Amino acid sequence: MHRIGLDLGTSYSKGVLVTSDNRIAAYLAVKTGYDFKSAAKKIIDFLSEKNEIEYPIYSCGYGREQIDGAYLANSEITALARAVFAKYQQALEVIDIGGQDTKYIRISATGRVEKFKLNRKCAAGTGAFLEEIAFRLDIVPEKFDELAGQATESIKLNSYCTVFAVSEILGLIKQGISLPNIILGIYNSIIKRCEEMAPLQNALVLTGGIPDKHAKIVQLFKEIYPGTTSPDLSQFLAAYGCVLLNKKQVYCK
Amino acid sequence: MSDGNGIRKLESVVRLKKTMGDYFTRLRQAAESPGRRVAWCSSVGPVELLYAMDFEVYFPENHAAMIGVSKKAAEYIPITNAYGYSPDVCSYLTSDIGAFLKQQTPLAKMGLESVPKPDVLVYNTNQCREVADWFNFYAKHFNVPIMGISTPLNVAEVSQSLVRYISLQFQELVPKLEPVTAEKFDPDKFKNTVRLSKETCALWRKVLATAKHHPSPINFFDACIHMGPIVVMRGTRYALDYYKVLLAELETRIKNNAAAVASEKYRLYWEGMPIWFKLSTMAKLFDRLQTCIAASTYCSSWIFDDLDPENPFDSSALAYTKLFIVRSENVKQKILEKHLQEFSIDGIIYHDAKTCPRNSNNQHGLQVRLYEKTDVPYLEIDGDFNDSRCYSEEQSVIAIETFIDQLAMRK
Repeated sequence: MHRIGLDLGTSYSKGVLVTSDNRIAAYLAVKTGYDFKSAAKKIIDFLSEKNEIEYPIYSCGYGREQIDGAYLANSEITALARAVFAKYQQALEVIDIGGQDTKYIRISATGRVEKFKLNRKCAAGTGAFLEEIAFRLDIVPEKFDELAGQATESIKLNSYCTVFAVSEILGLIKQGISLPNIILGIYNSIIKRCEEMAPLQNALVLTGGIPDKHAKIVQLFKEIYPGTTSPDLSQFLAAYGCVLLNKKQVYCK
Repeated sequence: MSDGNGIRKLESVVRLKKTMGDYFTRLRQAAESPGRRVAWCSSVGPVELLYAMDFEVYFPENHAAMIGVSKKAAEYIPITNAYGYSPDVCSYLTSDIGAFLKQQTPLAKMGLESVPKPDVLVYNTNQCREVADWFNFYAKHFNVPIMGISTPLNVAEVSQSLVRYISLQFQELVPKLEPVTAEKFDPDKFKNTVRLSKETCALWRKVLATAKHHPSPINFFDACIHMGPIVVMRGTRYALDYYKVLLAELETRIKNNAAAVASEKYRLYWEGMPIWFKLSTMAKLFDRLQTCIAASTYCSSWIFDDLDPENPFDSSALAYTKLFIVRSENVKQKILEKHLQEFSIDGIIYHDAKTCPRNSNNQHGLQVRLYEKTDVPYLEIDGDFNDSRCYSEEQSVIAIETFIDQLAMRK
């Protein structure tokens, strides 16, 4: 029998199919849209198509209670910490850059969450920030890595606020700054936002949709923190961690 | 009595409602009676002096908190923002003035058509300068006298010279208030209100100290409601009588091992202002998490041990300057260390209220220094006491749940 872990996030919903010996057998991410239940169903249907699954569904994320059928919900931060520790088995720090928020988690050598932090009220430095900029510049976000690779130098973005940052970027374009240099500056501003959350050490694990889809950001982190790693399919780790947690930690709704 | 979620409501709440209801009736009668005088006072202002001079005393902060609890602040704050007050300043000020400009008040439920018209406004800047700005709006509108005590900030040591400076300011209020009341100041009356205030503070201290018991018979959310009389009626018999009733109930709870949070497993400290518009939601959330918020800076801020009826001016100056919010970071840290130990606290939540830096003590590194000293973990949540625009419920709930996971890993 297989189990399903779901991370129902604000931008994307991620699901994993986990074998009885805790291997990931299949995975799927879909855009969440406005209906968490339908996103959850899509993933559950896909993952259970060829495999018999057992309930409850293990869930986390903003939509963690929006599931038809039995589910067991936990905090996505606790779940992510569990999955990352299961993989590395050492003291480390996690930076998770998702659609709407950025998280910092410090994990002890025994796997305890020692400290965690969420980004402040602004979206700057999250996936929503990149999407907004891509929309304004009329470029698909998938092109960002390639453009950043062509940069000759990085510009510095000062604004905290996504709206102000976009105005700042439009100002730079007017000044004739090249697009690759601007994109590299945007990537560096994401790193700056992460560095503001906590004094980062070297054993850094990057997770989430942004590191998965923008390898250049991982590379830039590595230049500053050489011990940085970002496991494959890192955006699925919180979903996987839910299954590993196996039981409710504290009482969630 | 349980509401089904494990939260036990205090039976004294019936008496509390009557005590507060009677207070608002007295205010209404005073406002309607030409011979009576109403003073507006800041929440840690010189209330004993005002009661001694026969004023009925109204507190705009209490009113603003009622607006917060009624979830109407979001309707009023933008009105004040449009009027010229920044969204970044005190949301008590902006919600209270907004309600006034819209001619609405939660006091309607208490039989008051509007806030009682002031004959004088009296503040102390010990808590913040915003109270002076706030009161000035009304002084201008009603064309009545305004006066205040100016207290310095970030005080490390409450020195004799500082007490003398503040005490003189207390004394200087008397000749300015006498023409408003048209009566001569009676020193014995002042001694009596200071004595009543001191006795009431001692009872309030005992009420909050019952939370040292495991499980605690009272939590932060109860205390936020039951603090009404200590804020608005200290210096009167009414508050004193009320806290005798409340304390007796809590002592009975201790005898019966009855807890505020039925299955108390974790004990937290709340640093900062309450989130008034989420008070009941939060109470339910922490109940589900088997967590009792056993102590807080906020509710402990109305304990004035240093009041001395035999020396009312100097002791008022001392008591109202020794207050947590007036003090330096080092003094604050020591006070917090003591609280953490006395109430056996597992973790601290810092509410970073976006419109009240004075009441948000995680902005200058205190949270890190306190953690390094005590090893008590902490969580910071962004929010506000009245301005719901500054608060993300989803993000805060996830953070709080994860924080309890974190504490569970330490047990």
